[in-house]
Amino acid sequence: MNFDMDLFSQALLQRAPGHIAEHLQLVIIPLVLAILIAMPAGILLTRPAYRHHGRRVMSVFNAGQTIPPLAVIALFFPLLGLGYGPAILALTIYALLPIARNTVAAISAVPAEVKDAARGMGMTPKEILFRVELPLSVPTIMSGVKTAAILTVSTAVLAALVGGKGMGAIIFAGINFFRFELVLAGTIYIGLMAIVLERALSLLEGLLTPAHLKNRHGAHRRAA
Amino acid sequence: MIHFDQVSKTFAASQRPAVDRITLHVKQGNICVFVGPSGCGKTTILRMINRLVTPDGGTITIDGRSIMQMDPPALRRTIGYVIQQVGLLPHRTIAQNIALVPELLKWPRDKTEKRVLELIEMMGLDPSEVGHKYPHQLSGGQAQRVGVARALAADPPIMLMDEPFAAVDPIVRLRLQDEFLRLQQTVQKTICFVTHDINEAIKLGDYLVVLKEGRLVQTGTPIEILTQPEDDFVLSLLGDDRGVKILDLTRAETLMEPFENRLGPIKSNGHRVQSIDPVKIALEMMMQKNTDEILVCKGTRPVGILRWPAIKTHVNRISGGTV
Repeated sequence: MNFDMDLFSQALLQRAPGHIAEHLQLVIIPLVLAILIAMPAGILLTRPAYRHHGRRVMSVFNAGQTIPPLAVIALFFPLLGLGYGPAILALTIYALLPIARNTVAAISAVPAEVKDAARGMGMTPKEILFRVELPLSVPTIMSGVKTAAILTVSTAVLAALVGGKGMGAIIFAGINFFRFELVLAGTIYIGLMAIVLERALSLLEGLLTPAHLKNRHGAHRRAA
Repeated sequence: MIHFDQVSKTFAASQRPAVDRITLHVKQGNICVFVGPSGCGKTTILRMINRLVTPDGGTITIDGRSIMQMDPPALRRTIGYVIQQVGLLPHRTIAQNIALVPELLKWPRDKTEKRVLELIEMMGLDPSEVGHKYPHQLSGGQAQRVGVARALAADPPIMLMDEPFAAVDPIVRLRLQDEFLRLQQTVQKTICFVTHDINEAIKLGDYLVVLKEGRLVQTGTPIEILTQPEDDFVLSLLGDDRGVKILDLTRAETLMEPFENRLGPIKSNGHRVQSIDPVKIALEMMMQKNTDEILVCKGTRPVGILRWPAIKTHVNRISGGTV
């Protein structure tokens, strides 16, 4: 197979950029939906009334994540048919798992004595959640969001298979017509999007992370 | 002040009650120490006062009002709470940690700030050095002082302290205990204090509550418990050096031979203690100076003489004559 430089530069500079906005939609909408569903769900699973369901729900979530992304889309194809909507739904479901899991893990890791002292000081359960548990959970929850974001950037390629457009349209066109140039051009943008998204979320994480966890290296060691 | 009436609690996972029909009264301005081995129910009793644990029998009242009629968060904001692990919020600075309860009570900001500075200084720490630090930057002793300051912030009439000095090393612990007693002189709180360390209990307590397996074994002042232990359990809890502990709580004047308006010149070897000093101090001096008698003074005025045989007789009598 010959590498056609003209075709590659045409794909890279003209065809692929047109799919960036579509692809980002396929990433950002499911990601936002997943955060809106998974974070409250994760929080709920750490509340005393629902805590005993926690392990069962998490094992379902964990099992869910072992299903390959293609299979998720294939599973929903008979139910929802083709198009943009089903692709968004499948990607949302796929992004739920890391966010919910990290939310539960982060809140469960808040030291018991810190919660006990907060309760003993007279903080209400709501105040403990918003002023103690969530601030301390930011780094772990954000790493779940980052994992979900990067996962969705690559998984969203498959949306093209069910008519959901995105960068996958170029990549699968390349695969179908044995044009490696198209696959490469699409893949480069996927990589770039993943990097840019990861950096953006890291900046957001920096803004949300409580001050004591920043610059841990510069912090004083425990004095004697 | 705080009154327990037939209070019981059995936890779901256990057959035996953690607290079994406890009736007791904690007086205003007193340090009441709950002491006993682990599993005796002392922490559960403490946590029932601020409703972190709900009793399943009996009533607890504070100033005549049942705590079950109060909203738990509102109740807890009027009761200081100090625990062994301190439990400072790691994402808030020391000043912000101390300001926690005043914030919950919606104090004006300048009042809170003033109170925080006052408390950091009261704890013997430097506000400009410590105030902006985070809990992980403090030593164990400093963190525990901040824990006490946080509990005192809104000036609650009652303080609950659950083994607050158990996690620091012995030297820091002794210093924290002394500071705590000095602090209590000025703040005059009603304090419920939990410890498994009988020496700490005797040193700090105005009133001791000895517990075993959820039941109340004996209550009384430290000297009452030391001199009249209820049973073998209390005796073993007090340890083998009960006589010495008693001498630490007995004033020199109680064992001295008073001079009673004596007119003649006082023969003295020059060694003297104050009448309110513990006998243990006099004993230490006798050993150091190799003498059998010490002059007891009130200020500079000699009021009596303390002799070794009097001390020995005293220890023999209360220890059942077996020493």
